[in-house]
Order: sequence, then structure tokens, then C-alpha cells
Amino acid sequence: MTDDLTPPATQTQPERRRFVSAMAAALAGGSSIFGPWATNRVWAQSASAKPLVIGLTMDASGQYAASGGMERLGAMMAIKEFNEKGGVLGRPIEAIHMDTETTPATGSRVAERMISRNEAAFLIGAVHSGVANAISQVAQKYGCIFLNTNSSSPTESGKDCHRTKFVWDGNGTNFALATVRNTLKTAGRDWVLMTNDYVWGHNTSKATRAILEANGGKVVDELLVPQNTRDFSAYLLKLQQLKPQAVATAIGGDDIKALRQQVVQLGLHKRAAWINNQQDWPDVYGLGPEQIFGVFGTTWYYRLDLPGVKEFVAAYQKTYPGMAIAVPGNVYHNGYMATRELLRCVQEAGTTNNLAVIKKLEGRKMSARDRLQHHDAYIDPVTHHCEQTVYMASYNDTPAEKTDIYKILTQTEPKDVVDPDSPKSCKLESYEATPSYER
Amino acid sequence: MSLLPHLFNGLTLGLLFALVALGFMLIVGVMETINLAHGSLFALGMYAALAVLAPRLNWLPEWQAAYLALPLGTRYALALFVAPVLVGAFGLLLELCLRRTYGRDPLYGLLLTFGAALVIEEAIRLVWGSNEQQLALPEALAGAIQVGDIIYSRYRLFACGFSVLAIVALWLFLEKTPYGAIIKAGAHDSEMVRALGIHLGRLRSAVFALGVALAALAGVVMAPIWGIRPGVGVDAVVPAFLVIVLGGVGSLWGAVAAGLMVGMVVGLSGAFASEWSMLSMYLLFIAVITFRARGLFGRKSILDN
Repeated sequence: MTDDLTPPATQTQPERRRFVSAMAAALAGGSSIFGPWATNRVWAQSASAKPLVIGLTMDASGQYAASGGMERLGAMMAIKEFNEKGGVLGRPIEAIHMDTETTPATGSRVAERMISRNEAAFLIGAVHSGVANAISQVAQKYGCIFLNTNSSSPTESGKDCHRTKFVWDGNGTNFALATVRNTLKTAGRDWVLMTNDYVWGHNTSKATRAILEANGGKVVDELLVPQNTRDFSAYLLKLQQLKPQAVATAIGGDDIKALRQQVVQLGLHKRAAWINNQQDWPDVYGLGPEQIFGVFGTTWYYRLDLPGVKEFVAAYQKTYPGMAIAVPGNVYHNGYMATRELLRCVQEAGTTNNLAVIKKLEGRKMSARDRLQHHDAYIDPVTHHCEQTVYMASYNDTPAEKTDIYKILTQTEPKDVVDPDSPKSCKLESYEATPSYER
Repeated sequence: MSLLPHLFNGLTLGLLFALVALGFMLIVGVMETINLAHGSLFALGMYAALAVLAPRLNWLPEWQAAYLALPLGTRYALALFVAPVLVGAFGLLLELCLRRTYGRDPLYGLLLTFGAALVIEEAIRLVWGSNEQQLALPEALAGAIQVGDIIYSRYRLFACGFSVLAIVALWLFLEKTPYGAIIKAGAHDSEMVRALGIHLGRLRSAVFALGVALAALAGVVMAPIWGIRPGVGVDAVVPAFLVIVLGGVGSLWGAVAAGLMVGMVVGLSGAFASEWSMLSMYLLFIAVITFRARGLFGRKSILDN
């Protein structure tokens, strides 16, 4: 007997041809056409003054959809607060959002469209470093200020820096400096690196390797993990054969969620020390206690015992009731702080002119109290990177409430984790070479 | 580095890929409809299993408490059976919408199922939210077993065994039962089947529902491995598509063989050239299709003569 279910070829030739062409079309498009395509007008107010349009270039689909959603809420909160006070320079602020799909090509297209057709005055948002780099190239071409809120490749404020780009998240080197030396003392010297195979993963692992080797550690092997990997069994088998004392991962988004689940199934989290360079809150929220293993870096936690943190959390819960993520995390915090600081600078400059606002942002000092962190932060005028407090955390086995899943182990001052290589590789365009831009 | 564990891992991975492709293969093979909602239905199966395992019956607290008092193993077994049935029933509704596309350009069916995929994914977000969720496993399936120096996931072995069962059961159904004979006859000569008094509409509905139920079953089985999130369907539909084209459209054993090949290639490249592990399946696809356009077990078309 045959298992073949297809109709005989001779009976349905025209249908077959159409069918095959449809198959080809579907195969070509199948990998990229999924996910919401929403182009949302999220905020609009009527006023006589011309609205100030801010383009939110955040992922709503792909590997970083969850983080993209959270940083968008953060930016919208800051915009809402300004609008409630009458906007900025007397103009209401209108936010438009387009999904950048965790895809650099989409990032370029969205940035181009927001600047040339939607007349966005500023662009805000990125989690994936490839997307951030793509958006920033378009922004620099026009002179439009772009805030890279949450992507962490050291290259973003290094060789890919731009006069119009400001990078708000800690980068891979900052987190490696905060976590690697500490772990090396307790875990041992033989490490394996697991690296997401794109710009952030490569540069973060490069930083980890440099710090590790400078402190007497040894990289036994580096496993490159393609983006969107869902089955880690081959990698985990290899790890068992390599028997490292520590595994340092630079894996993000949905990939790290799947990896954590599969590591626990094998009990490998008990066989080696695990260090995740940076753990974004949306990627860990909702995971079980066992899956939040190892140590990891972050820039903020909702239960930091600092003035203003409780109010900040309460404002999130009041504005966004019933959210699946009940408390804000580092990604939301970065989105909010970056947007708020930009709008303050516009207000102080008295204009939306890009060069005037850039000069306000460069070298800007922000107090620890204002940013709800332990140490003052500043924007490095040479790299445009926001240097801020970096925390090392692990799972909290004595939580005060269900969402209290982090135990903050250390908090490091910005000066102690500054990336020493960024100023050497960052060559900002001169003011003269940056087009004047004002909307 | 020993090769044997990686060969074994490739085999298990291949069986899982074959399971993910089964429902897709059935619908394409019998109905000539490319069901782009396959991935979303796969995801819906995961969420349906979540609902069966721990239902939120706030209006019937006593019932909920009594149900949750059942052993996890019992509820998991129920989820394995009930979730595909529920999603299969949803498939019947989807097939009603699909009827208007029969006999027309296949692009209509393609567009409709693509639209359905978006609607299902957004509906999942609305009902269950965007967060990562987990399917609790009974103790007997959780944890790992150690063979020599190598630790392997107990659940993964169960999932592979279950895949073999599902493949054999589908083969027996199609080859050894009168229903399977009718389905195959309907695929080969629908006019003759109609002339014999068999209601073709019902036959199509049944096949579509079965294909959808298989997608959901694959979702339930894969949930503890891939995790549960609204967009997980995309991770399933692309390899499923690749497996059925590689195996030959409509061929059950073709899909199984292609699944095993893909699993082996992905598993071995993951171990020895990790950066190629995702790309390797596409390279395999190009290599096979270049020399054998109809896939491994696909029927010869008139153009091949």
C-alpha cells in the first residue's frame, strides 16, 4: 500500500501549477509575514499648536516583542506626564508607533518613513542592536535625534556611534565588568561562552572573554547560537561533554526563555555556574523559580529600597492596570528615563533644533534620586552612552511577594564599569557634518 | 568528543520535527490547501492544554478545587487528549470559512489561513496575555536520566516515543481503516467518491479537523520543550513547511524521513558547527530540491517525464 495522498498528476495539471506557485509564494514569505503589523496612533490630543511628533521605533513582533512592548509603555508614560503638564514648548506631544519586527531592514524602513512622511521630531526605541544600528544610520542621514533605549551591544556607543544617537542601556562590557570578576572567584577558571549570533551577542562575548582572560580565566569553547533557536539540545549535550565550570550566556529575548527551560530539564544549572550577561525583565517575568538560575546583570529592579521607587511602580500600575507584567522592570525604566530626559532637554533648549538638543544631552548629569538608582548617572559626551549603576542579581529565594524574584547581590558605580574601548572606537560626526533638523 | 549522543539527539529531534509537520502534511496532501494557520493552531493547542491542566473556573470554585485535586498526571493525560479535540472542533469552524475557496485559485486559501493565523495569535494575546507560560509536568516525566556521562531529558524521550505513536496511529488510520481509504480516495478522485454517495463536504471537514487536531497535539507535546508564548507558532510553521516539501507533498513517510533528516542535520551542526545549525536545514532543503524537485517521496509530475 502507498502512503501517498496526492491526486494523480495527470488529472489536475492547471490546479497543480497554481498550487505549486502558491506553495512557492508561501515558502518565500512564510518566515517573515507573521506577527502583528499594527501601525498605531497611540496618543493624540487636539490643540491649536502643531503637535510634536515622536516616532516610537519598537519591536512588537519577533525575538524582542515582549521587551519592545515594555519600553513602549515606558516612553508613553513619560509622554503622558509631559502632556498632562501642557506638552513641551507649548506643543502637545503625539506618539506614533510602528513595529520594527526585530529586523534591521524593517528598522531602516520605519525610520525613513517616520522622518520623511510622518515628520517625526525624534525617534525612540530599540532592543535589538542590529535594528538600533539600522535606525541610527537613517536618523544620522537626516539629523534626527534617536534614542537607543534598550539595545546593549558595546558597538552602539563604540564603532557604530553617531552624533544623533544616544544609548541609554548598560552595554555588554558594563555588565561583564560587573559580573565576570565576581563569578570567576567562586566558579572556577574554565568557561564556555554561549553567544547569540548577531552583533550584541558577539560583542558582549568578546568583552566577557577579554575580562575573563585578563583575570586568569580560560574560554574552553564558544558556542554560537543562531537567533530564534528553540531547541538547545545539541548545545547542551556539547556542554556536558566540555564540562566547564561556568557558562556565560549572551542570549536574549525568546531564545533565553527556551534555553532556561531546557537547561532546567537536564539539571545542568546545578552542574556549572551560569552567568547571563544581562537579564531583561520581560524575558524572566513569569518563569518558575528554578528557571531563574545563575547570576545576571540588570540596571534596575522594582524593589530597590530607594525614594521614589514605590511611587514609580504605583504610577505604572495605575496607568496600565491589568497588565500581564504587573510591575515594571529595567526595560520599562530605560524607556521612561530616556524619553523624559529628552523632553526635559527640549524644554531647556527652548527649541526642537537637533543641535541645540544634542548639546543639552551631551555630558548631562542625572542624579541617582531622579533616576531611582544608587549612583548618579551621566551621558558620556565622547560616546553618547548613559553611564549608570549596574546591578548583579540572582533569584530571590525569600520573596516578599510573588513578583519579587530578584535578589540584588551587588551594585556597581558607573565609573567602575565604564567600557574602556568605546571612546577609542567611537568617532562622532562633527556638528557641521550633521544636518540641521527641526520639526 | 563522542558522536553517538549527537546522533541520538538528531534522531529525537527529527521525530519531533515530523510530529510538528504531520497535521500540515495531511491538510496539504488531501485538500491541497496550504494551511498557514498551522503554527497558530499549534500554539492554540499549547494554550488549550494550559486551560485543561489548570482551568480558571472562577464562577465554580468548588468544581475548580475538585478538579485541581486530581493528580497532575491525570490532568496531563486529559490535556493530551482534550486539547487537540477542542482545537480540532475550532478547526471545523475554520473549515466552514475555507469552503468558499474550494475550486478557486489556491492563493485564496493561502490568504484566508494567513488571516486566520493573525487572528488566532492576537486572540491568544487577548485571552492569555503575551507572557511566557509553562505547562506543568507530572513527576514521572520531569527531570533527567543519566546514561554514562550524558544526561538526557526524560520528557524529551517521552515526546519522541509519543511522536512515534502518533505517526504509526496516523498511518494505521489512513491505511487500515475504511475512513482512511475514503480520505485517500477523495484526494485521488473526488468525483468518483461523490458518485459513490459519500458526502465530500463532510469528508473535507473531517480531514481539516484531524489535521488541526494533529497541529494542536504537536503543540501540547512541544510545549514543555519550546515554552508557551503567542508567537511560538512561527517557530513551528516554517520547519513544518520545509519538512513536507522536502519529503514530498502529501507523503506521510516522506514527512517522517524528511523530519529525521532535518533533525539529524540540525543536531549534528549544532554540536560541531553551531553557527550553522539554523541554516543547515535550509541548505539541506536546497540540496535535495535542486536534484529532486518533487521532494524525497513526492509523486512524479507530468513535467518530469
